[in-house]
Formats: sequence, C-alpha cells, structure tokens
Amino acid sequence: MIATAVKELIGLFVDDELLAAAILVVVALVSALAFFGAAPGWVIGLVLALALPAALAASVLRSARRAVRSE
Amino acid sequence: MPNLTTIISVAGASFAASFVEAVEALTVVLAVGLARGWRPALTGASAALLALALIVAVLGPLMSVVPIRGLQFVVGVLTLLFGLRWLRKAILRAVGIIALHNEDAAFARETRELSEAGRREAYGFDWVGGATAFKIVLMEGIEVAFIVIAVGAGRGLLGLASAGALAACVVVAAIGAAVHRPLARVPENALKFAVGVMLSSFGLFWTGESLGVGWPGGDAAILAFIVLFLAVALGLVALLKPRAAALA
Repeated sequence: MIATAVKELIGLFVDDELLAAAILVVVALVSALAFFGAAPGWVIGLVLALALPAALAASVLRSARRAVRSE
Repeated sequence: MPNLTTIISVAGASFAASFVEAVEALTVVLAVGLARGWRPALTGASAALLALALIVAVLGPLMSVVPIRGLQFVVGVLTLLFGLRWLRKAILRAVGIIALHNEDAAFARETRELSEAGRREAYGFDWVGGATAFKIVLMEGIEVAFIVIAVGAGRGLLGLASAGALAACVVVAAIGAAVHRPLARVPENALKFAVGVMLSSFGLFWTGESLGVGWPGGDAAILAFIVLFLAVALGLVALLKPRAAALA
C-alpha cells in the first residue's frame, strides 16, 4: 500500500525517465555554474531557457520514433 | 507587489490545472457511487479530503520556515518535472501517438471493474468502494496541493492559488452533483496542454530566480517563457502530426 503510494507520488513527476534525467542534469549544471560563480546570471538564464525546451523536444521526438518503429 | 500578469497567471494556472484533476477524481467517485452505492463513495471521498487537510495543516507551516531562495529552487525544479511531463503527454496526445484521455471510457471501465469486484463488507461498509474513492481523491488532491504550491509559493501568492484551485473543485463538484455524469465534454487535453506550458514556464522562472538570474522584465518574463514553450510545443505538434496521420 505504502509502496504503491510512493510509486504514484514519484509518477507525478517522472514519466519519461530520460526527460526527468535531462531536466535534473541541466539544473545541476546551472546550479554548479551559479554556485562557483563560473558564469554570469544571464548565461545561466540562457542555458535554462534553451536546454529545457530542447530536452522536451528530444523526449517527444524519441517517443514519436519509438511509436513509428513499433508500428 | 506582484503585477497583474503574475496574478492572472497564478490564479488561471491553478484553476485550470485543478479543474482537470477534479474532473478525473469526479469520474471515479461517480463510478463508485453508481456501481457500489453513494455511502462508500462519499465516505471515501470525505475521508480523503480530511486526510488531505491534515497533510496540508502539518506541512503547510513548514514552508514559512524554509528560506525563500531554497523554496523557489525546490518548487522550481519539481514544477519543471511536473509541467514538462504534462506538456510532453499533451503533445503526444495532440499528435495521436498516445490515446486521448476519455472520461466516458474511464467511467465505463471503472464502473465495470467495480461492479465485478467482490464485496468486502465489514461493519456494514463497502470497503472496496470506499478505498477506491479515497485513493483517487487523495491522489488527485495531492496533485492539486502541489499545483497550488508550484504556482503560488514562489511569489507568496498561496492564498490566490488556493482560491483558484478551490473554485475549480467547487465548480466541478457542483456540475457533477447536478448531472451525475462524467464531464466528458471538458477539453481535457487542451487544458493539460495549456497548464503544461504554464507550469513549465513557472518552473523555469523560479529555478532561474533561485539561482540569482535577474530575468529581464521581472515577472513579465513568465509571459516570454509561455510563448517559448507554446511555440516549441505547437512546433512539435505541427512536425509530428502528418507523420502520425500517415501511420494511422
């Protein structure tokens, strides 16, 4: 019962594991840049604004390719 | 002081997202009510609302002790995961790669399964029906609570976001009580598409702000992100729809 609840709770945030991993990698990268002061704020913002839509597009295109292969 | 853009987008996103979740919960509660009786349906749903209120009452005050930057970061990242997941699914549904969520079909399936399930009664109460109603209302309620936090916490607009969510739940419950049918004509995927775009934009904004990014235009940058995610999502639909149609 608890395991099912935890699984469903995780399922609220993770559906395609690669998309979730890509989001976390992007966030980890920009967090490191911000933490070490390695990049100005506008670079961090630009990376977020470009990488996150790109991660979404990659995930959707991958799912579409998979669907084509399975037909 | 938040500007009008922020206020409208917070209340609107909270209302639309909560509306979708409430419609999904209503479908299952109606199925329980018609297949197993209204007593387990309403008792299960009420118990879930009570449990949800307890969770919010216990965890809610913790948010005020977390530093705003830390809160923005955690909420921002979770909102990105949640919003981009919704948007991805909405794009795939719009293209036809995965089936559209159909409340009538979900209602029929739930009703059939609940009618076939054996009765497990104790103390004169139908526990299968009660547990089914409890589980769906609790899970969808947790999603609503997260959406309220996601759109409201970053700017201290939890009250406004809660009002949007509450209004959506009241509207859906009132319509459900009046028609006793699942709300199949709600354009669920269009709502999920819009909410996915908005949550992803909020997530991007909060995450950046928590990392010290001074977004040009302040809160108005959220509008630019909405345009960005909408353009990417619609572009993907335009790109993939002809291919999916050719396969069908």
